[in-house]
Amino acid sequence: MANTHSGRTTLHGTSVVGKRLLALLSAHYIYILLVVFWIAASVASPYFRMMSTFSNIITSAVPISLIGFGQTLVVLSRGFDLSVGAVASMATAVASVTMVKGIIPSIILVLIFAVIIGAINGFGITKLRIDPFIMTLCMMFFLTGINQLIRPSPGGYIPDDFKGLLLYQVGDFPLTSFLILVVAAAVGFVILQKRKFGREIYAIGGEPEYARMSGINTDQTRVKVYIVSAVAAALGGLFIAARIGSGNAEAGASYLFDSFTTVFMGGTLVTGGVGGYSGTLGAALIISSIGRILQFLGINIWYHFIVKGVLLASVAGFQLYFARKGRRSG
Amino acid sequence: MISKLRLQSSYAEVVILILALVLIMAVASIATPGFLTYKHITMVLYVNTMFGILSLAQTLVILSGGLDLSVGSIYWISTMVGALLMVKGNTLVPALACLLMGAVIGIINGAAIAKLKVPHVVMTLAMMIILTGVLYVTTGGGGHGRATELLISFSTGRIFEFPIISLVWILLSVLFYFILKITPFGWRIRALGSNPVASRCSGIQVQRIQITVYMLSGLLAALAGLLYLGWARTPYPTFQSGAGIGADLTLKSIAAVVIGGTLFSGGRGGVERTFLGVLILSILYSILIMAGLGVEWQIMLNGIIIISVVGVYSQAKTR
Repeated sequence: MANTHSGRTTLHGTSVVGKRLLALLSAHYIYILLVVFWIAASVASPYFRMMSTFSNIITSAVPISLIGFGQTLVVLSRGFDLSVGAVASMATAVASVTMVKGIIPSIILVLIFAVIIGAINGFGITKLRIDPFIMTLCMMFFLTGINQLIRPSPGGYIPDDFKGLLLYQVGDFPLTSFLILVVAAAVGFVILQKRKFGREIYAIGGEPEYARMSGINTDQTRVKVYIVSAVAAALGGLFIAARIGSGNAEAGASYLFDSFTTVFMGGTLVTGGVGGYSGTLGAALIISSIGRILQFLGINIWYHFIVKGVLLASVAGFQLYFARKGRRSG
Repeated sequence: MISKLRLQSSYAEVVILILALVLIMAVASIATPGFLTYKHITMVLYVNTMFGILSLAQTLVILSGGLDLSVGSIYWISTMVGALLMVKGNTLVPALACLLMGAVIGIINGAAIAKLKVPHVVMTLAMMIILTGVLYVTTGGGGHGRATELLISFSTGRIFEFPIISLVWILLSVLFYFILKITPFGWRIRALGSNPVASRCSGIQVQRIQITVYMLSGLLAALAGLLYLGWARTPYPTFQSGAGIGADLTLKSIAAVVIGGTLFSGGRGGVERTFLGVLILSILYSILIMAGLGVEWQIMLNGIIIISVVGVYSQAKTR
């Protein structure tokens, strides 16, 4: 996969086969980490070797990776989207209220809402020049208020058809979840590596001013990025709704942290312009495996918060540390 | 010349803020008779003291070009830890321990932001979840411990019918007003906020200032938590608005800073504006409550206010 990591390395160093291989490995270190992690966990715990565990990891990685998809694009374009968790909650709340009337119209309604939210975010950030942090933070709280009004207490109705389709399993293998991950990976690869849109995102993240001067309509691209982010978060929210079988105004909140952790752990730089979706996807699998292991060890749910917070801070910190070090030596 | 212009416009803005405050108070007093009595005004100050001190902390951070999403969590954890430590009956040592804890959390935030260059939102967000986890792991969610009588009498006490803790808030605001206006440290905070690169080039120790600012923010948040402990006696933290413990307080503090006209990008503004911002916002909340609208509406109002104020200011800046 022509990742920007390898592109950068060949720019600086002499392009030798060995160096390219090393670059490829460093670009996909997350999958090596994942395999090592899985082996260690299966040695440590007999439960981890069961198929149902694997299936559970895949299923819970779906919302993380979908929400992480949008966040990857946003971070690549030098932005931040703090509203993804609230958008996912909005999706569960709206779905739980409207799915009585029909599944397809409800999904369309959720996606329309997501597009509107993303467009407002993008408009505020590009046209009104509001800082992405503050714009999406306000959007997050605004939506939290709305969600509380739509669904004051968890509940509502999610049809069995919808749940059955999204959680369809062959034996113990979660077929739909697996397909969603594969499709997300393919879409991420095509958008970021093959399409003009993706190239523009990298250009804006790398150097916004140069991107603008070279004729890219940066405002339009950034608005699109925030729309994609909101839509991806809403899709993740729909999957969450199928999993928990109801609507919950706070179901998506914790996914905000997960989205940042996956993006940074996957090697997308906080400063934008470097990274890709394959890393995020691998990190999503790692995050959901960590959750499973903590569960097997019988650890209190509140320790998950501490682990997640420490992970997020350290991932973001060390990533930049290593990036600076690499730039200095390379 | 530019600085003089800016200074003049800054005074004009404070006057506008005061006018807005008077207007809102007039509306509120028409809606509810008895609003403009001495007793009620001091009550408004009293109720919003904790909120005011948190906003003061947030002002310092935002002036330096940062953002601290963990103030609300530090506030709650200081309250809970204080309650647990004060069961033995000692006041001073637990209070100092809480303040120290707040400062240390702030230093961790600041060090990660200044040294490791973690984006401030990411770092303080992570701190918020960590503290949420720590709070529930250590205390199981509230209803434990109790404030000592000394702290209770301090938090609920009045001098000349004026609440003591509101006096603390006002004194802190005055103190930081002068620190920001007069001392080199205050100037450096604002220089850092308005142009970090230029500040570094002109020999300001950017990292040290950043760490100090986050430390002060943690310290003030812990202080607010202690004052609240004396008021609530046995605290029950509310895990509201999804994101983490104290997230709604943090958002309120940002809203108060922004409504006061402190530039979100840093450098311009001050604690006197935040003081007025806190009052305006709190009276707006009470109008909302009088109109029968619940907490959800407050959260939404915060979002709308911040966005519209920041939007208007950024438009004015580009012109």
